[in-house]
Amino acid sequence: MTDNKTPDNKIPLFLPHSSASTALNKTGSWRYVRPLYDEKTSACSAACPAGEDIARIEMLVSQKLIPEALETILEENPFPAVCGRVCFHNCEGACNRGQMDDPIAIHHLERFLGDAAISSKETPKVDTLPENGKKVAIAGSGPAGLGAAYFLARLGFGCEVFEAQSEPGGILRWGIPAYRLPREVLDKEISRIAELGVSIHCRTPITREILGTFKTQYDAVFIGCGYGRAVDLQIEGAQKAINGLQFLYNIRARHAVSLNAKSSAAVIGGGNTAIDVARTLVRLGVDPIIVYRRRRQDMPAFDPELQMALDEGVKLKELLSPIGIKDAAGDSADHQPSYVVTLQKMKVSTTKIEGRARVVPDGDKTETLQIDHIFAAIGAEPADPWHNVPSGERPSLHLSHCEIVNSDVPIAYGGDLTNRVKSVADAIASGKQAAITLDTYFKSGWDAVNEAVAGCQVGPGPTVSMTMYLGKEREDRNPHIVSFNEINTHYFKSAPRTIAPVLSPQDRSQSFLPVEYTLSKEAALEESRRCFNCGICNACDYCRLYCPEMSVIVENAGRHINLDYCKGCGLCVAECPRNAMALKEEDI
Amino acid sequence: MKQVAEGSQAVSEAVRLAKVQVIAAYPITPQTHIVEIISEFCSNGTLDARFICVESEHSAMAAIIGAASSGVRTFTATSSHGLAYMHELLHWASGARLPIVMTDVNRALGPGWNIWLDQTDSLSQRDTGWIQLYCEDGQDVLDSTLMAYRLAESVNLPVMVVLDAFFLSHTYEPVDVPDQEPVDKFLPPFSPRFQLDTDNPGAFNQFVAPQAYMEMRYNIQTAMEQVPGNYSHIAEEFETIFGRQHNPAEAVQCDDAEIIFVTAGTTVSTCRQAVDRLRSKGEKTGLLKLKMFRPFPIDLFRQVLSGKQKVAVVDRNCSFGASGIFAQELRAALYHAESPPQIFGYIAGLGGRDVTPETIEDIYWQTKNADSPQTENIWIGLDQETIESWRN
Repeated sequence: MTDNKTPDNKIPLFLPHSSASTALNKTGSWRYVRPLYDEKTSACSAACPAGEDIARIEMLVSQKLIPEALETILEENPFPAVCGRVCFHNCEGACNRGQMDDPIAIHHLERFLGDAAISSKETPKVDTLPENGKKVAIAGSGPAGLGAAYFLARLGFGCEVFEAQSEPGGILRWGIPAYRLPREVLDKEISRIAELGVSIHCRTPITREILGTFKTQYDAVFIGCGYGRAVDLQIEGAQKAINGLQFLYNIRARHAVSLNAKSSAAVIGGGNTAIDVARTLVRLGVDPIIVYRRRRQDMPAFDPELQMALDEGVKLKELLSPIGIKDAAGDSADHQPSYVVTLQKMKVSTTKIEGRARVVPDGDKTETLQIDHIFAAIGAEPADPWHNVPSGERPSLHLSHCEIVNSDVPIAYGGDLTNRVKSVADAIASGKQAAITLDTYFKSGWDAVNEAVAGCQVGPGPTVSMTMYLGKEREDRNPHIVSFNEINTHYFKSAPRTIAPVLSPQDRSQSFLPVEYTLSKEAALEESRRCFNCGICNACDYCRLYCPEMSVIVENAGRHINLDYCKGCGLCVAECPRNAMALKEEDI
Repeated sequence: MKQVAEGSQAVSEAVRLAKVQVIAAYPITPQTHIVEIISEFCSNGTLDARFICVESEHSAMAAIIGAASSGVRTFTATSSHGLAYMHELLHWASGARLPIVMTDVNRALGPGWNIWLDQTDSLSQRDTGWIQLYCEDGQDVLDSTLMAYRLAESVNLPVMVVLDAFFLSHTYEPVDVPDQEPVDKFLPPFSPRFQLDTDNPGAFNQFVAPQAYMEMRYNIQTAMEQVPGNYSHIAEEFETIFGRQHNPAEAVQCDDAEIIFVTAGTTVSTCRQAVDRLRSKGEKTGLLKLKMFRPFPIDLFRQVLSGKQKVAVVDRNCSFGASGIFAQELRAALYHAESPPQIFGYIAGLGGRDVTPETIEDIYWQTKNADSPQTENIWIGLDQETIESWRN
């Protein structure tokens, strides 16, 4: 308002005003706690036997940094396309998002990245050390052996892998049906390992004698021969049952199998092999029944796989244990069943063994099952006694996923031979742990191993990380595992979990085509955006936006606190959606 | 153009005509209609202003203080607990000399929980350094709000325009809503005397030592003392342009009156009717409408009331342990007057209870029949049965 236009009197104003900047007032002197960027461990990554940096991987996907994401995944796991298809994804059970709506579909994203790596024109770069002149012999080319080769090669070791079969892959190639893991996917991931300079000698079975010669030719040995032999049924007429693992091998090897379509089959067992055998039978037109001595909830098989099997028409009979197999009376030519299986009825006992309900025979109650074929899938064991870790005589290290005997040369045992959980991811973990152990042994000696392994644990362990072993920034991460109540959920909207397209059960039962599809890029991006990125700074910038003192400085794509002005109010830490910051008391 | 509008709309139309640039408000009954209408103006482009949604009244006033410091015309509105919640920042706004205009819809404070008329909310803010203008009807609301900007900007003090809950905020009556052109003539764009300026960074209102604090306070008092004079100029100009007169206090039939009512808000209209009725019965009575409460127009009151026999103040508020607040102010104002009248303080119509022409007439007869006030505050219309019940 101008004085000449109005009669309003203007009185002099007396107000405090300073043209000095408030920068004079170094409010940092008020502080008694200071915020810091403190990246922590996500529950998923600690639950992943392979120690994949999942929270960071999903962050990179959400930022459309696909090459960086697949490099990050390949740092810890040479088999993302395989694991995205077959892993039991323990990570998703640990996912904090599950306490808000549904866990992130981590395995779908892993598969998306694995397939992206396969179709990528440029080979993704992973950290490798120069050659160290040491040579390692690896017996077995399953996920443990190839995992060991992959990590040892990156640490500079010369690796030679010896495989008894005609092609490498072990259980991945011969034990997992094509509808779960197509051969081409496996071939591509194995060839990427070979490209690191790993030699793979097929049709070269290792014997105890050959192992003896390795001790003079190599600096170390890794034994990852797996559980090569199926456990036989110990009942009358057991020889009438077909070995489930052998059956799966025959299918993968395209050997002839003589089964009549529309015949019936009993599959004895409750593990993943039993499920794979049953689902394979469905695809061959056979009508399978899984017979399991415990209940569904007690099955070691992964439940989603069992559910798929049931959807495809597999039947399940619980609490029944076979006690004898006899030839059926009639003539199988006129479609009479071939066998009669006598099944002991079981009941759940009140006592438990290792957390699993114990079952005991329910008196002498039995029932019989008239059936055309019987498959045994009740477990597997080492094919040769020397595959087992020798006990006693030499100093040895028992680690979470492998054992190393300090013989003439160090011999590491991994995979199913040493793992409590017999899974692909655990096999890879054993290869990685063995590689880290051997590298430490050659660099710093036997006594340094425990400390080195502990130093690269993801969270409290036992999972270990190769990037942490190599001293990358992940090593600085706080081992504290971020819990759901440490997430600032105000920043997240409920959003449905992405479901990958699947073939209908009808279509599935008629071919060995892959059951699930890989997510599209759009779907993968959308799913990755659901991730809380627990404990990882994804540069969301809320710390800077909320800082009342403008003390969060973004520089060179990183953030730091200007302690001259930070009052230690803690707003940045409270607002951080993903607990990637912390408050620390000042030393006074 | 004349419109049938409720009091809330009269406020909003004035805000639109004043071309306010920043509004921040938090809704509270019975103020809600005001900000609803303004937010619609902002969203449909009728008013080119920024409407800042906030999570509390404390934040609303803080946001408005920030906006006003940057040199723009600002508005907020609240009521009752919302106003109480702003208290700290009311002091800040006046101390910082920001010409903010705020509407307060007089509403009772809880407990007991009550959304109806009671003047205690605004009168509790008496000492915050805000100018306070009380309104009688919708036209008064619109005109006072426009004048409030002129007044605030002339003395660099904030103005609270006060209207009664529901009796005014939600009552429809004809209101002359002027065209933009005469309003622009009356109220030019705000030209701040100081403002935050990113080209010349500086800070306002930092630490002040005892050597200067008192002078700052005296400067505010000086500005307050300037208000009645400035108001007269502004009111005159307003009358020239719009043809309506709004005095700080309006004397109605007071010349020969022996008993004069003093009150504010919509009760003034009720009093006007009661005075007419009493006059028709030959009673010599009049009315002094209190419009400006801060600064208190002492001279005007002394001029009208000196020499009169009795004054009946109708307070729809209470300062517990003392009396009605208007009555208190009046007693203080007339203490040094020549031959001051006897002052009867009546408390009536709290929490939305009706004050009817009959209530006013009852007050008249009580005043006339008493030689002098028996007590500082006389409560009107109390339900004796209820009181007996908790006395026993």
